[in-house]
Amino acid sequence: MKYELVSGLETHVELSTNTKIFCGCTTDFGGEQNTHCCPICIGLPGTLPKLNQKVVDYAIMAGLATNCEISHISKMDRKNYCYPDLPKAYQISQFDMPLCKNGYIELSNGRRIGITRIHIEEDAGKLVHQRGNTYVDYNRGGVPLIEIVSEPDIRSIDEAREYVEKLQMIMRYIGVSDCKMQEGSLRCDVNISLRPVGSTEFGTRTEIKNMNSFTYMTKAMEYEVSRQAELLDEGKEVTQETLRYIVEENRTESMRGKEDANDYRYFREPDLVTIEVSQEKIDRFKALLPELPDAKFARYVNELGIPEADAGLLVKYRKVAEYFEKASQGVANPKVVANCIIGQIFRRVENETEKEAFDIALSPEYLRDLVLLLDSGKIKMNLLKSTLEKMLDEGKPAADFIKEEDMGGVDADTLKQLCTDAIANNPNAVADYLGGKEKALKSLLGFVMKNSRGRADAVEAEKLLIEMVNASK
Amino acid sequence: MVTREDVLQMARLSKLYIKEEELDALTKDMDKIIAFAETISAAQCEQTNFDNINNLSNVLREDVVVPSYDREEILKNAESQDEGYFLVKRRS
Repeated sequence: MKYELVSGLETHVELSTNTKIFCGCTTDFGGEQNTHCCPICIGLPGTLPKLNQKVVDYAIMAGLATNCEISHISKMDRKNYCYPDLPKAYQISQFDMPLCKNGYIELSNGRRIGITRIHIEEDAGKLVHQRGNTYVDYNRGGVPLIEIVSEPDIRSIDEAREYVEKLQMIMRYIGVSDCKMQEGSLRCDVNISLRPVGSTEFGTRTEIKNMNSFTYMTKAMEYEVSRQAELLDEGKEVTQETLRYIVEENRTESMRGKEDANDYRYFREPDLVTIEVSQEKIDRFKALLPELPDAKFARYVNELGIPEADAGLLVKYRKVAEYFEKASQGVANPKVVANCIIGQIFRRVENETEKEAFDIALSPEYLRDLVLLLDSGKIKMNLLKSTLEKMLDEGKPAADFIKEEDMGGVDADTLKQLCTDAIANNPNAVADYLGGKEKALKSLLGFVMKNSRGRADAVEAEKLLIEMVNASK
Repeated sequence: MVTREDVLQMARLSKLYIKEEELDALTKDMDKIIAFAETISAAQCEQTNFDNINNLSNVLREDVVVPSYDREEILKNAESQDEGYFLVKRRS
């Protein structure tokens, strides 16, 4: 490609506080329209906003987790614009003194995406356009948001995606937001411009508003990149404008004309006082931060010997990571626990929401006890696997499924006898195997495993079967 | 100097409709208002810290839910409503 993508993102994250940013109304998602409202959040004259302590705390945590400086002094400002989703005709936001600034997120390719600032603000209401009218629901109006503004450091669509995924992971880890794109608690505005490869100047950019799924974000970016490349190829200019992405038609279209160009006339919010954050408080919050996904990933790979791909799957969801850590306590090889989770438990929690909640019947302590049986040589891997399935079905400990006499495996003589029986009872499988069908061995192995009640070591049994079948030629 | 274009721009941002014949008078008025506000620029204030002019900070509330208002109350002053929504003329 002869153009290089230059992209920066503005990410809005809804904070999971109990109440709105300036009043005590609930932030619960999905209530009946206009039932989570009061005179403050519908902007009636004469009301006074009062800032929610938790919003400041959560924003500080978000800043610390993304390597930001925390401002000792910041303030709120009014951002003026006239639209029915804002009953006051201004949004209370932060302009020139944001709570956090100068941070970064590191991508897997080692590149750092700068974070210009993180500020706190109120969300707007929800508009439904129908039958020639606009229906307004202010339940979301006043729900606290942080806006995370990145530097134009992103150079590919993959980087944009990874950046948002990392933000999502970090915000979930520190517990400040559930970051559900489908519910709108994480949404992005994407700035896009192109420039000839090798150039250091920025091209004219467009901004695609309100991307609320990874799939659409990728598609919208792909569309916009090719649209701009075509314009540039034809020697035309890109117009600086705000775009919306039309999902059904996979294209972008201009949202507002030039005459409505942004002119927010920011000024200090006189109804709210200065926000001061002491160094002592910053230090205290820093100490409270949990181990973040990048650090966890490095520890799993370097100290626990988990392969990178598996470590990535384990750290993606905090609850999965916590489960893994509890289940690996005192276990000789944490990789076995990782395999149990990824290979078997994940099959029962397929979608993202289920993995995020990771609400499974089996306690991590029971899984650990099962793996400890393997460590002590009392059971073999295949018995561990089949027992785990039963444990997952019923949420009961291993002892409920493995009898004492099943432990300890089978001795060499018994194994040899089992294999002899298997060969004697399955002449067709033996003939198939000798005829070149390697898969036929599976039925012989199945016979051995079944008749040993899962105690035999599958690897040893397979080795012995091959030996014996070949010898019988 | 406030120009007619400034006034038109402000009107547009505020979604106000201004008649052509009102424009000159409004421009003059606006100019006077700005001139009056300009008085404050004469104040000597290089030494003043504007970060915290009222010497108040961190007036905050606990994150505790307070019951919201009945929807009927919330919609009481709405010019138009339907199915529990505020209703406004369609804007794209």
